[in-house]
Amino acid sequence: MSAVAVRPPRALSKRGSLRGGASGGWKQIAVNQAFLLPALFVFVFLFVVPLVQTFYWSLTDFTGYSPEANFVGLENYTKILQDPSMLAGLGFTLLFAVGTTVLITVLAIPLTVQLNKVFFGRNFVRSVWFFPAIPSMAILGLVWRYVLSPLESGVLNSVLARFGVEPIGWLSVDSLARLSVIVVGVWAATGWHAVLYTAYLQSIPGEYYEVAKIDGASPRQQFFGITLPLLTPAVVISTFLLMTGGLKVFDLPYTLTNGGPGFATYTITQSIIVSGVGQGRYGLASALAVMFTVAVGILSFSQLALTRYIERRFVWPGRCGAASC
Amino acid sequence: MSKRPLLAGAALAAALAMTLSACGGSDGGGDADGTTTITFLSWTGEEQMTPVLDAFGEAHPEVKVEVSYSPPVAEYIQTLQTQVLSGTAPDVFLIAAENKTNLIDGEHVVDLSGEDFVKNVEPFNLETYGRDGAYYGLSLSSWAAGYAYNMDLLAEVGYDSVPETWDEFLEMCQKLKDAGITPFLESVDQMPTTVSAMIGAKSSEMDPSLDDLIFSGESTFEEQWTPVLEEYNRLYTEGLVSSDVVGLDGDMVRDEFAAGRVAMFNAGPWNIAAIEEAAPDLNWTYAMIPGLEDGKPFVAGAASPGYAINSASDEAHQAAAKVFLGWLASPEGVEIAQKQTNDVTVTSDFDPPVDPIFEPMVESIRSGQLYLPMISWQRSEDVLNVEAVAQIQRMIQGQITPEQVAQALDTKLAAS
Amino acid sequence: MARPLWRRILLSAVMILLACFIGIPLYYIVVNTFKTQGQMVTSPLAPPTELFLGNFQEVLTDPRMYRSFANTLYVTALSVVLQLVVGALAAFAMIMRTSRLNLLIGNILLIGFIVPGQSTLIPLYRTLVGFKLVNDLNGLVVMYMGGAIFCYFLIQGYMRTLPFEVIEAARLDGAGPFRIFWHIALPLIKPILVTVGVFQTMWVWNDFLIPTVFISSPDKRTVVLQVYNAVSEFTTDWPMFMTVSVVALIPMVIFFVFTQRHIVSGLLAGSVKG
Repeated sequence: MSAVAVRPPRALSKRGSLRGGASGGWKQIAVNQAFLLPALFVFVFLFVVPLVQTFYWSLTDFTGYSPEANFVGLENYTKILQDPSMLAGLGFTLLFAVGTTVLITVLAIPLTVQLNKVFFGRNFVRSVWFFPAIPSMAILGLVWRYVLSPLESGVLNSVLARFGVEPIGWLSVDSLARLSVIVVGVWAATGWHAVLYTAYLQSIPGEYYEVAKIDGASPRQQFFGITLPLLTPAVVISTFLLMTGGLKVFDLPYTLTNGGPGFATYTITQSIIVSGVGQGRYGLASALAVMFTVAVGILSFSQLALTRYIERRFVWPGRCGAASC
Repeated sequence: MSKRPLLAGAALAAALAMTLSACGGSDGGGDADGTTTITFLSWTGEEQMTPVLDAFGEAHPEVKVEVSYSPPVAEYIQTLQTQVLSGTAPDVFLIAAENKTNLIDGEHVVDLSGEDFVKNVEPFNLETYGRDGAYYGLSLSSWAAGYAYNMDLLAEVGYDSVPETWDEFLEMCQKLKDAGITPFLESVDQMPTTVSAMIGAKSSEMDPSLDDLIFSGESTFEEQWTPVLEEYNRLYTEGLVSSDVVGLDGDMVRDEFAAGRVAMFNAGPWNIAAIEEAAPDLNWTYAMIPGLEDGKPFVAGAASPGYAINSASDEAHQAAAKVFLGWLASPEGVEIAQKQTNDVTVTSDFDPPVDPIFEPMVESIRSGQLYLPMISWQRSEDVLNVEAVAQIQRMIQGQITPEQVAQALDTKLAAS
Repeated sequence: MARPLWRRILLSAVMILLACFIGIPLYYIVVNTFKTQGQMVTSPLAPPTELFLGNFQEVLTDPRMYRSFANTLYVTALSVVLQLVVGALAAFAMIMRTSRLNLLIGNILLIGFIVPGQSTLIPLYRTLVGFKLVNDLNGLVVMYMGGAIFCYFLIQGYMRTLPFEVIEAARLDGAGPFRIFWHIALPLIKPILVTVGVFQTMWVWNDFLIPTVFISSPDKRTVVLQVYNAVSEFTTDWPMFMTVSVVALIPMVIFFVFTQRHIVSGLLAGSVKG
């Protein structure tokens, strides 16, 4: 897996060799590796240990209340695979994760570029876009619930009514409810990802644009020739975050639709929580969590590998071209 | 260099806040002065609980209560669960529908059936949080939900009283609809009030009860629930109510009612204050849910969560906890708590003052004539409830039949 | 710079219109803080007929609100700084030495993103009870250290785009890893540090799940717990709830406005690009 996911891009490996002779020997290496220790410690303490514990519980009939737990082998796993409604959330979880990842990425990059131009009211616009990242998703879900209320008095419907549009069941029709949750998800995160891209935009040397301008490149050519390729490292990061976050989504559908109507916007995490917390079927919930972790892992690592592959194909030759090295 | 101010600022803020937060945090526990300190995880919010605890402190200076709060419902259940599991649960906590099976199975709660203070409490409430004659929760009040009627809108189509039967109710809905008034809205983000009440009405005339039959395997959801769901579904199949209700929550429906945009909705006591504040001149009343052909009017409702004592606490703390519970169940304790929460209490030696609008529901509450599926179900309550709500929503949308809803519940029960 | 005036005006108009649309929920929240429950029910969208300040008065005169601010400030400041330090150190080490071992470690760390938080809550609670960190603000800081992995991931991604000649030069001059980290790497990665810092601040400040499970004493409440203190089992005073939420978020808004210029600092943000 190591070779697939975090392979150094070409430019970096070149640096690696460059540095060979100058490196300060074992002591320097030891100091360097020591920098990793705090993160590793955090990782082991906060992730590995509880995960192992969860895995152990997934093989037992642990209720989450009494400390005793009997070993039951793979019974919890087979139970999940046989119960269709345990997996009811699978479809929407995937749809949400892929939908928000694609839409946010497609929206955030042009938005970043526009927000970096000089125009009147820029700070205001930038703040408004970023605003959804400030309150917790739970509060925003509750507010959107009012905005999207299917009643005639719902905020959006009453605005539409002024244009003669009949009330629309934003949250009461399966397909619209799914769409609404995704749109609110996009609304909530696009601004923040635009800020992330802005930070990366800072690392693009201005000379590239100077050179391009001298060569007579149009703004469109500059965007596709310089900005977009050089933002691909940011795309790798951003889409990985969106994908893992999307697959684990809970707060938003929970407060906006509570999984409904029917199971239309039910998520896997909601299944885990309902069976683990509400039901004292902790062993079962642990098994679901383990399966889910593995599934998210496979999905997001393949996605990471894919975007990194694209990054390598795309960026580094591009960068050399632009910088005329 | 230029990032110094930011970092320094954060460090300064941290240091400042550290000193601030160090000022508080008194440690309870010191039993040297003859007092016992018990810990208590409150379900009721701080605003309402503080006067109650103050009054208890005056009445019983020998018992100190160290209180913490967690908002109901899911957060409370989760917090208590983590505490129970790690052996840090408080001496007194609340036993609720969501955790009663696990708390009783795990023997985490003390049997209160021998205590004097349970004698005045309505048996329905004690039995809700009991098993095999033992009582594990001191539940001092109940809630009930029925329908709220806007009498002015009813008068527009010629009614001056509320209908008694389901057929009359549907007929009235039709008349309202014909007159251009939205007749009825019911939030179905939870188990619909109507379904709970109708199943309750049916069960109250059965012996053994409906749930005894289903959970012992003698009967099925399909057999018991299908006829009721079919009646309920007429609201939607006959076009009286829009299927948009699947996207509404209780607060939205309440606001529609308060604004006079709907004639009736499913309502509990928690709606009174909000409606009276929003629409002080509204002419409205509560009523029980109309009965089906062979049934009587009934209400949806349940015993409020009960105060429970941690079985892991030592003897001295359990004794002090019993003093606390005893006072809570006394007329003084009930009166003070009732003033804060406006609950309809169920101790025989205190008559709770009730808003006249809510009067039609009080008799049912005080005598325990209430039903809520999730509390009456005997296992897998939460999973079944989630399933039922989702499937009923699908039924309202016309995707499945009432029979299929009931079958789905049978499948779920069999799988768990 | 040479962009024609009319195009800038057009851009302004389009962007401001779009922002207004995006900002509807924000407007909805703020406008209702100035209303009573009754006014909100009858006309949720209309501007308040009279400025009702009762909600704010009630919230701002509550001493518990200030105590919870202090608690949250402590937890947020300490945990975000620690997260950034741990994350940046790891990212730095990873970039400086790209051995096979480090690549493997880098990939394994990403598992931290995949684990659903809910499933590790109970095991972690039990561990923290052992360390006497439950119902303790420092326990929250420990829990939030998980965010260091997030910081690591974003920072290392950013570091990979930096011109490394500078660091090479410093190394050839004989500077030790600490010097290079502190004096060269940190200033270079400032934009991402601020971005990640802002994001983690928002997360910690707003998080509900961890405090609700780990904090039980009222005097150790965080702001969000204080907000939810206003929520009862059945019904909510929405204007009050929104007011508490707004008050709880004011420090975040100030914080964001203050840090925004750091994100787009330095380089000729604007005109040249795109």
